[in-house]
Order: sequence, then structure tokens, then C-alpha cells
Amino acid sequence: MRHTACLALAVALSGGPALAGSPLPFDVGGPFELTDQHGDTRTDESYRGKPALLFFGYAQCQSICSVALPRMAEAVDLLDEAGAEVQPILITVDPARDTPEALAAAAPDMHPRLSALTGSDAALAAARKSYRVESKRIGEDVDGPIYAHGSFIYLLGPDGEVLSLMPPVLAPERMAEITLGYLK
Amino acid sequence: MRIILTTALAALLPLSAQAAPTGERVTLRGELIDTWCYFSGVMGGPDAVVGSAHHTCAMWCAAGGIPVGMLGEDGETYMILKLPDDDESAGGDTFVELTNDTIEAEALLYERDGLKYLVVSEITSNEGIPNRTHEDFGVIPGFAIPDAVVDKVLGAE
Repeated sequence: MRHTACLALAVALSGGPALAGSPLPFDVGGPFELTDQHGDTRTDESYRGKPALLFFGYAQCQSICSVALPRMAEAVDLLDEAGAEVQPILITVDPARDTPEALAAAAPDMHPRLSALTGSDAALAAARKSYRVESKRIGEDVDGPIYAHGSFIYLLGPDGEVLSLMPPVLAPERMAEITLGYLK
Repeated sequence: MRIILTTALAALLPLSAQAAPTGERVTLRGELIDTWCYFSGVMGGPDAVVGSAHHTCAMWCAAGGIPVGMLGEDGETYMILKLPDDDESAGGDTFVELTNDTIEAEALLYERDGLKYLVVSEITSNEGIPNRTHEDFGVIPGFAIPDAVVDKVLGAE
């Protein structure tokens, strides 16, 4: 078991060839209209022209977001170094706390180029539906509600098409490698 | 617990209606694992973050959104995109309730970007947690279960 586990770990961390492989087993992606941390309206079309990495989460999340967002941010930096500018995007699942003002304060700490989006419950639900992301308020702590939510990171092409999705547990280097594989 | 765990991981909304025919139909046996602790190594080596030793932490991770994976008996790791719906609870909590269980499942296998993904259509058997790693490692991480609770449980045995 030890050998098997170590081997599996090594393969998963190093990744394999940066090939797309099977088509995604479902249709995912679509339009949204939300508000960014500066109070400006942003739609899916606002990001056309460059690839993007999209994650659904919330600023005060102490669980998966604290893993996924730093990794996504580091991947973006690695991609910058490789000459591929990719737009990082966060769509909140916690609009009550993630107001534009709150996101304006939090976003720079996540990534200086992060576009952090919020909106009405209906607008956010529509965005989650497009990307097939579930979100559920599962409890409370002293800082407020705790949400469980989908955590895969979506890679969008310059035309807004979802090119792939990535588990948030991947190393930033691997995220960057996969992303570059689609941009060549 | 059942309600709390609903959709916890939420990998993706139901996929069955959209499942494309491109996946390979497979039958696999393996343990459902906490992919963050397994891949990151933050809680210890891969042998310590599977099975009963890591069960409490794995449930918390699953509830918090960490994707659940399968460590197959073939040595491969698979990311779970979807488990079968649980009709009684409107689906979702199975991600957490099954952590560290060893199951046999029928699924569609998709390979992308060097990773393997499963859309599980049916769990055909569930052995519970036969991987009793706590006998070697105790609770991993130790803080997953407060000492007072451990003492109480052990004291009751």
C-alpha cells in the first residue's frame, strides 16, 4: 500500500502530459452579469480577449478557498512569468458579506489583478447554475455563515468557452502547466 | 450531520442528464479519500491520511469543499465529479458520509489534463472503513479529535 500510495501521489503531483483528453462530460459555462469590487457591472463578455481562471468562493472562507485562491493566484503569477496573462476571477457565494466594498478590501490580498464579483442572490444563482456549482449555507461561526460550495477551478478561453476544470488541490505549477497546454 | 453535509462538496450539480457518451464505463474498487490532505502532505504521508486515522479530518475537509477522490486498488487516484444521488436526503451528503469507505462502484471514467475523473453511477458495494490506519498512526491530525473526547471514548472501552 505504501508504494502504491506514493506512486499515485507522485503521478498526481507531477501530472501527466498536458493534454485535454476526454471532452468534459457535461455542458458548463454561460452568461452572467455581476458587480465587481469597484462597483462596475461585469458580464462574461467583459473578460473576452484573454484567458481566465474562475473560482466560486467567498472572502471569509477558511476552508477550501484558503487553499484554492492562493494556488490560483500563484498559478496566475507563474503564467505571467511564462508570458501568458490570465485573468483571475472570484465569484462570491456569500453576497451578504462580500459586498463590493468588502471585496475591494479583500481582493488585493488574494491577487492584485483579481476581479472579485458579487451580485444579487438571483444573479449569483444564475452564474452558479451556468457553471454547475452548488452552494449551501451549512452552519454559523462567530464571523458569520459557513458555506459549502463547489471548488473546481474553471479555465476559460479568450472567447469565454470553458476549456477545462481543475481540482483546487493541484499544485500551482501544475495548474499553470495545464493552462499553458490550452493556450499554445 | 446529514443536513450539514448536503452538497458539501458540491463538486458539480447533477450530471446524469448531461453525461456524454465519451466516458469509459468502468468498475472500480477503492477508498474515498480527502484529496487535499492526501496530495498536499500537510497532515503527514499518504499512508497516514487514509483510512480510519484520518476519517474525522476527511469529513471536515469534505464538508468544507475539498474534492473527494478515490484511491483505487489499481493504485490510481481519481477525482470524483459525481456520486449517485441519495433519494432520501435529496442528494449530496454521500460525499461526506462515505469518506474513507472502501467501495466498489460503476462509473464513467474521463481523463483530462493527465487527471482521471469519475462520474459514479452506482455504488455496488461498501465495505465501510476496513483500512484501520489508526492502529498505526492514531488520529491524524491529532487535533481532529480533542483529547478529552479520545479519553472519554477509550475510557469507556
